[in-house]
Amino acid sequence: MPGDKAPDAAGDGPGTMPVAADHQAAVAVESSQGRPLGPVLANVAGKYGLLITFLLTIVVFCLLRPDTFATWENAEAILTLAAPPMIIAVGLTVVLVMQDFDLSFGAMIGLAGGAITTFIVSDGIGWGLAILMVLAIGILVGVANGFMVAYLGGNSFIITLAMGTVLTGVEFALTGQDTVFQGYPPDFLNIASGTTFGYSNQIWIALVFVLIAWMLLDRTELGRYMYAIGGNQEAARLSGIRVRPYRVIGFVAVGLAAAIVGILLISLSGSYSPNLGGAFLLPAFAAAFLGAAVFRPGEFNIPGTVVGVLFLGVIQTGLVMLNFQSYVINLVQGGILIAAVLVSRLGARA
Amino acid sequence: MTKVDAPLRIEARGLVKEYPGVRALDGANLTVEGGSIHGLLGKNGAGKSTIIKVLAGAVHPDGGEILVDGEPTTINNPHAAKALGFAFAHQELMDVPNLTVAENVLLGLGYPTVAGSLVRTRAMRKRAAEALDRLEADIDPAAPLESLGVAERRLVVIAHGLAAEARMIVLDEPTASLTDSEIEHLDKVLRSLRSDGVAIVYVSHRLEEIFNLTDEVTVFRDGRTVFEGKTAEMSRSDLITRITGDSVATAVEERTPHVTLPDAPELMRVEGMSLPGVVEDVSFVLRQGEMLGIAGLVGSGRTELMRLIFGADKPAAGEVWLHGEKLKIRSPRDGIEAGIVLLPEDRKGHGGVFNFSVRKNITLPQMTKFRLTKPIPVPSSRRERNTAKDLVERLEIKVPDVEHPARYLSGGNQQKMVLAKWLDSGADVFIFDEPTQGIDVGGKEEVYRLMTGLAEAGKGVIFISSEFNELVGTCGRVLVMREGWMVSEFEGTLINEEALVGACYEHEASPNGA
Repeated sequence: MPGDKAPDAAGDGPGTMPVAADHQAAVAVESSQGRPLGPVLANVAGKYGLLITFLLTIVVFCLLRPDTFATWENAEAILTLAAPPMIIAVGLTVVLVMQDFDLSFGAMIGLAGGAITTFIVSDGIGWGLAILMVLAIGILVGVANGFMVAYLGGNSFIITLAMGTVLTGVEFALTGQDTVFQGYPPDFLNIASGTTFGYSNQIWIALVFVLIAWMLLDRTELGRYMYAIGGNQEAARLSGIRVRPYRVIGFVAVGLAAAIVGILLISLSGSYSPNLGGAFLLPAFAAAFLGAAVFRPGEFNIPGTVVGVLFLGVIQTGLVMLNFQSYVINLVQGGILIAAVLVSRLGARA
Repeated sequence: MTKVDAPLRIEARGLVKEYPGVRALDGANLTVEGGSIHGLLGKNGAGKSTIIKVLAGAVHPDGGEILVDGEPTTINNPHAAKALGFAFAHQELMDVPNLTVAENVLLGLGYPTVAGSLVRTRAMRKRAAEALDRLEADIDPAAPLESLGVAERRLVVIAHGLAAEARMIVLDEPTASLTDSEIEHLDKVLRSLRSDGVAIVYVSHRLEEIFNLTDEVTVFRDGRTVFEGKTAEMSRSDLITRITGDSVATAVEERTPHVTLPDAPELMRVEGMSLPGVVEDVSFVLRQGEMLGIAGLVGSGRTELMRLIFGADKPAAGEVWLHGEKLKIRSPRDGIEAGIVLLPEDRKGHGGVFNFSVRKNITLPQMTKFRLTKPIPVPSSRRERNTAKDLVERLEIKVPDVEHPARYLSGGNQQKMVLAKWLDSGADVFIFDEPTQGIDVGGKEEVYRLMTGLAEAGKGVIFISSEFNELVGTCGRVLVMREGWMVSEFEGTLINEEALVGACYEHEASPNGA
């Protein structure tokens, strides 16, 4: 009924507030040209604060542990360690750009690990085909999430949380929750453990994933539409953008990323144990939200996420090298996430 | 109702409030006294709502002072305003739809409780009913608020002000969407409040109400107070001149409407468009080069009708024909591809992506035009920038750079930016839903000029407006909607404000009588 409609905002309500004469706008713009130093510093801090903190953290760890932390080997180790979280965090960034959430990827990583193990070890399927099958599952899960959220209107938070439970159920049904230590062919194990041009394959895979996602979000029409959907979904729709398929694509990116990570983890360890993805949930969100506090404050972006993942990796490695106990690492990581989210709010307001 | 002990006197002096790029208040004064009804007047964007928000503690002024009974007072938050005895019936309904009427009426006033915490529902409903009775509003206090229509919800908001036993009640456009009899009740209540010594600030665009009800008026223009005085000493034309500051307001009526040649071919035909309860079996024709006005009150279905035509919502029934061909429109994308574009009413909510730059907003609907190479969906920022710059110049959008965030533009410039998105899209039908809302007079004139320009170029232009003088001054034909039905059509010299208003307000008229 017409009564459901919002009241007439014909006056100068909050939405239509900035409507004073144009010459005033012009005056205000002019006065912002000769900027005082304070706002400039605030702007730099808002945009690059996290990056500066990141670099300072590296310097501090290098000074404290010059023999172990400040080595090329350590840098490579951190990059290798950061590769799986990088892949998942980058996938997650795509969904977050459109203001959707995906909480199912932890379980999807577990399912991917269980499925690849079952396909290769139990069913004797060739590892190449098995990988393709697992990637297909990841895509399928993304489509299912996306369909329920974008087409059926489910809340992405709760839908993907429920989906995560379903996926863990499927994983346990496939594997019987048995731990598996052997039966993987050497070529399969070589995917994650091997090197190309002297660097771990994991680094290369993560690099490719980052570059693709970066180009996609920042250089293509698709990415522009995704940011528009995140900025104002209804305006995007009224501009003729097909909102729903793009949102599905976001969930597919996460599903695919989770499948890749699951495969990599199995390939790296040569073993399967149930529920191996849960540990990735918080760091991925942490990295993406940290990333939204850098470069483009208030906006999720791939370069930011990359910095976020590396920052968390550096802290983890550095604190371990300083012989801190694991609870300290938890405290620090959680604290950093909270700080980052609050800092990015400041940035968005500035 | 408690009698107010001492007559209240509230003085706001030299208030200044600056937003990025805009001075919403620029030396605003307002003096309100207990026992009088004070009209607050000014065009959209003159600063009326801002000064009300300052009094409500929702906005902090950058300069100036507020004296309450001679005491300098700062109102830091809504709680402080409440403590001073100020109550507000805002233009945007500030209520909680999922609570009951009674819970809303007494919201923030302290519900009657047992043992300090359990709410005594019956006592609460009784208190709410008392406030509603004073308005002679027949509303069940136990009903969930969301089950009420806009008019009833507005009465609930006013009842809240009554229940607060406020010393000052501010009503921002209280009569919008109220019926005549409801307005009468409201007037009666306000007069009785006045005799109780309450100060009443009454914001309205309807001059009849101002003359009928108020004792004094304050007129705002561009964030400044330009006039304070007794209503009785004013004439209608005096007041209009004070509000507009010059002859611009009459300019819209003196405009020559864009008249289509009678033999202009049909461009778009809408047949039997229906969405039960919202839009009822609406049919009309838009001719080439026509400026077609749509008049109607809020809730008459005009916005909804246009959304159905454009594909933003799905109709229950109805057909759209363009160039003699029946269209299949199931999404805005289909509408756009067919050649129909909509510039939505809720500019902030639907018009643009305001964290995007002006450039990205302008190019958004037509990204494929800006590809580096045709088959690859990678846009060239340089090409985008050139096009955006060109449109910014052509539409005279005031912005330092096309990379400037759209949210810093003034209302008029935002509207022009939204038009810039579509100007070169090759669309045949342009639907403008309240395009001049919240835009200053100069900006309005530019919007009229742009719309007329489109019609002169052979496009079909549909212009929805609540300010009927705009339709009178620009359109060759005006359709009137009421309660979902298309009830009247006026053409040429028969279009005048009184006729349009009359057609809009004929209450409870049977749709068959149209």
